Amino acid sequence: METRTFNENDNSRKKIFIWPFYFCFLIFGILSALGKQEITLLNFSLSIVLSMVVGLLIVNFLILLLRAFNKNLINKSGTVFAKEAVGKGMAFMIPFTVLAMLVFFVLDWNVIMPFASAAITTSAANAGTEVIKKGGNGLKNMIIPTALAMFLSTVWMLLLAFLP
Amino acid sequence: MDAEQGSKQSQWKTILKMISNPGEAVKKKMTLVPWPYALLISGLSFTLFFLQTGIDLYRVGNIGIERVILIVMIGLFYGTAGVTLLAIMSWVLAQAGKREYSIDWAISNFALGYTVALIYSICGLLFSLVFNWNTAVAFGITGVLWSLRPTMFTIKQMSGDATAFSIVLTTICGAIMLFGWGLLGRFGF
Repeated sequence: METRTFNENDNSRKKIFIWPFYFCFLIFGILSALGKQEITLLNFSLSIVLSMVVGLLIVNFLILLLRAFNKNLINKSGTVFAKEAVGKGMAFMIPFTVLAMLVFFVLDWNVIMPFASAAITTSAANAGTEVIKKGGNGLKNMIIPTALAMFLSTVWMLLLAFLP
Repeated sequence: MDAEQGSKQSQWKTILKMISNPGEAVKKKMTLVPWPYALLISGLSFTLFFLQTGIDLYRVGNIGIERVILIVMIGLFYGTAGVTLLAIMSWVLAQAGKREYSIDWAISNFALGYTVALIYSICGLLFSLVFNWNTAVAFGITGVLWSLRPTMFTIKQMSGDATAFSIVLTTICGAIMLFGWGLLGRFGF
């Protein structure tokens, strides 16, 4: 029986952009720094670095976990499915980022972290949903990204509180 | 024996789903609910959210009891008429009729999406009454934000999986909901 092997460099596939999501993390970092009572170069920089580290961790851990828990999809379509799912799912960080900017600058609310937490968890769950659509296990792909996102957003919130 | 084991596994699955996504789990169980009943969920959710806002403002002495009642009534209106209008607007913009989604379905799904906000509102009200905390922002806003997730899924479904369109429309829906609540403070409440 002929088996079709998957080529990860297949040109017919759409290019996956992850950088817009790092940009969302950068905005959350800037907003949370601006929300501090006293803004110094140190806490501003640390807040941005922290948000970027959380962004890098969540995107890459999500890709690794989705690959690790969906071996059947790797055999079927290669490892790129995880990056595609994360790329599509993380796009849903954008509404929360835009809303966070609106409430911060227009309504003058200093409540950024609930937006960041909802953004991460929703987009991670969305990435899981994308994998489910491709044939991944329903429960695993819903629970694992959500749990990872909840854990990292809690760590982010805690570390942010400890910043000078 | 196998049936018993299967039932136990299914119970665990339901519990895990409730922990990871309580709103969606409840919503799934209620998909057959007609839209007027579904509006009870969003109506109650916003009524309790606005009640917390009223209690917070009353506690600091900014408003009297009659203003609290007025805010609660606005919340009820927001959660019923407001959510219905939002659902109709999204249904029209997504051209969901072409994909055989009825307007009743859209209203029902939008309203049931606020199940998670209702859970947050109930918890917030408990904390507000028992511990005297100001809970409107911590619980109310968080609940509305988490409700954007099912709203997003509904919009995505209605628009035939159009990601960019869903992102824009979800942002608009979220902005309408948050700004509507935010304006309470601007109008002297």
